[in-house]
Amino acid sequence: MSLTNKNPAYRRYMWRGAAVSVAYVASVFLATLVIPDGAKTAPLYLAVATLPGIFIALWVWVMARLLVELDDEYLRFMEVQKALIATGITLAWSGAWGLAELFLPHLPKVPIFFIFPAWCAALCIGQIIVHLRNRDAGTNP
Amino acid sequence: MNNRLKILRAERDWSQQHLADALGVSRQSVNAIETGRFDPSLPLAFRIADIFELPIEAIFLRD
Repeated sequence: MSLTNKNPAYRRYMWRGAAVSVAYVASVFLATLVIPDGAKTAPLYLAVATLPGIFIALWVWVMARLLVELDDEYLRFMEVQKALIATGITLAWSGAWGLAELFLPHLPKVPIFFIFPAWCAALCIGQIIVHLRNRDAGTNP
Repeated sequence: MNNRLKILRAERDWSQQHLADALGVSRQSVNAIETGRFDPSLPLAFRIADIFELPIEAIFLRD
């Protein structure tokens, strides 16, 4: 049985994360349905576009709850490492690309919207790095 | 920080899982502490000391 199945804090994290992820994707679809391409700025459109942002904030809350509820300090340490790696990758990539966009007009423009999906992908990279760095050494179970 | 966790555990013929269960942590935590990849907090170090019935300084050593 894996740690994520065994530890109640991880189980709650998985459920909360799944629920918030579904809500986030639904809110993005809702925004694409409601807001027409090239629409003029309107309060309704801004409100609909705010919804995914709320779910992104909720994702951070889900991660914060995991850190609060995890009673195993080593697992907490690994989760913090993973989040820091993901944040570092995302900020470095977005900062570098954003600066390049300012000066290189032919560079493809990356909408800010993609920062959160990129951070999620970076979390996967962080997970792999942390797993490789903290593999059991000299296991004697 | 060095520690004698692996030796003390072997003397008692305890598995990592046994010690982890006694401490209320994951086996990975015990492995990480034993191999020096993670230094435990003071409360966890006290719990380890209680389980082995030894003073902390008999388990954890300065580099």
